[in-house]
Amino acid sequence: MSERVIDILLESFPKILIPGLLRTIPLTVLAFAFGLVIAVIVAMIQYANIKVLKEVCRFYVWVIRGTPLLVQLFVIFYGLPGVGILIDPFPAAVLVFAVNEGAYASETIRAAMEAVPHGQMEAGLCVGMSWWQIMRRIVLPQAFRTAFPTLGNEMISMLKDTSLAANITVTEMFMTTQRINAKYYLPLALYLEVGFIYLMFSTILTRLQHYGEKKLAAYGKR
Amino acid sequence: MAILTANGIKKSFGDTQVLRGIDLEVEKGEVISILGPSGGGKTTFLRCLNFLEQADSGTLTFLDETVELAKANKKQIRAIRMHTGFVFQNYNLFLNKTALENVTEGLITARKMKKEEAVKKAEAALLKVGLSDKADAYPNQLSGGQQQRVAIARALATDPAILYFDEPTSALDPELTKEVLAVMRDLAKEGMTMVVVTHEVGFARQISTKAVFMENGVVVEAGAAPEFFDAPKTERTKEFLRSMSSKDV
Ligand SMILES: Nc1ncnc2c1ncn2[C@@H]1O[C@H](COP(=O)(O)OP(=O)(O)OP(=O)(O)O)[C@@H](O)[C@H]1O
Ligand SMILES: [Mg+2]
Repeated sequence: MSERVIDILLESFPKILIPGLLRTIPLTVLAFAFGLVIAVIVAMIQYANIKVLKEVCRFYVWVIRGTPLLVQLFVIFYGLPGVGILIDPFPAAVLVFAVNEGAYASETIRAAMEAVPHGQMEAGLCVGMSWWQIMRRIVLPQAFRTAFPTLGNEMISMLKDTSLAANITVTEMFMTTQRINAKYYLPLALYLEVGFIYLMFSTILTRLQHYGEKKLAAYGKR
Repeated sequence: MAILTANGIKKSFGDTQVLRGIDLEVEKGEVISILGPSGGGKTTFLRCLNFLEQADSGTLTFLDETVELAKANKKQIRAIRMHTGFVFQNYNLFLNKTALENVTEGLITARKMKKEEAVKKAEAALLKVGLSDKADAYPNQLSGGQQQRVAIARALATDPAILYFDEPTSALDPELTKEVLAVMRDLAKEGMTMVVVTHEVGFARQISTKAVFMENGVVVEAGAAPEFFDAPKTERTKEFLRSMSSKDV
């Protein structure tokens, strides 16, 4: 490798890493957190079998899972201004990723809720607990534990998918790399470099996921 | 005085009528066993009494309050559940809670009891079922018999006016069955009011003050024990008891 390449790589490393820390990571964390909130609500509506709302939730999951993330990003960012709704790139990305994650995670959480033996709900009712109390203290904690590894994987996928936000002008890591490349024209080295930074991030997340799984394994073996 | 009077309870699942008008009166301190062949509606009947299943018709008078089972509102249902305990065939312990927490859970959440007070009550209940040393174990770390005894402690700790048991030992092997039956026998001796669905005819004979034979959604025969067991009035009951006791040994 020539000295020039090494110099450029060293110089660009912090230039890529910083938008990673300021854009990619916050986008992932915020969108995942909002996505989880949406997912829990959607999963509970389906679990509780609430008539009309349940259909609305099904429709939501169907549409989101059946269309490309990139198309969703374009509709929100380039499409909505056509009807007078303008959203800044970063919030638009958070919105789309959250809504997207909400659909996928709701299915994960719903399946995990359904895997909690139903008898516990009945036992809770029999000691006078309300549906909400049983949900909050018995069903959701167990469902969360079951869903945790899958949710972890979903978060790691999302971290990588945030590179798509470059398409709606969010200056995250990938977009930054593209810009640096336009200046120096070193595509192989620079794209490998950004790939390496993604790998670092996802490795950290994977570690956290394993740590969390161990922590959650506390109540008796299964 | 009657704690509970059920009148004309009917229940269908789709086209099949599972309960065809069941009556039952339970006095304070009575132990009533419900016997009968599989599919006769015993479980469904118990579940209707606690609104785990909504009956199609019939009334329930419980602690001097009468409700129409098909029309009971949330408040009435909750009031009844607050004074009854239910022990399930497969225990249904909260898997994310320790034995102690299983017992305190309903006390703290549903009864708004202070934590220390709930823990005291739960410890007393666990002591009664002989599981003080397992307070911190999770259900998955307990045997079936131990789990069922925790379930009994959970029901007991709420000071129920009546305890329902739905085949509490049928998922257990004989050795574990014994320990659960011993706990139930103690409760009966202490004057706990209980309705017990069971296939253990020998045990039912020992602890019951009254017995009911149920088949195809009707009460075929009901009577005071031990006469019910020693000299049943209907041919069908006689036959059933004979078939069961031959299985017992
Ligand atoms: N949720 C349900 N949906 C449809 N049918 C049901 C349901 N629960 C019970 N049944 C039917 O109702 C009938 C009575 O069932 P139930 O469980 O009350 O009988 P049981 O006397 O408790 O029997 P066992 O001794 O086997 O426990 C059975 O034919 C059963 O298939
Ligand atoms: Mg049954």
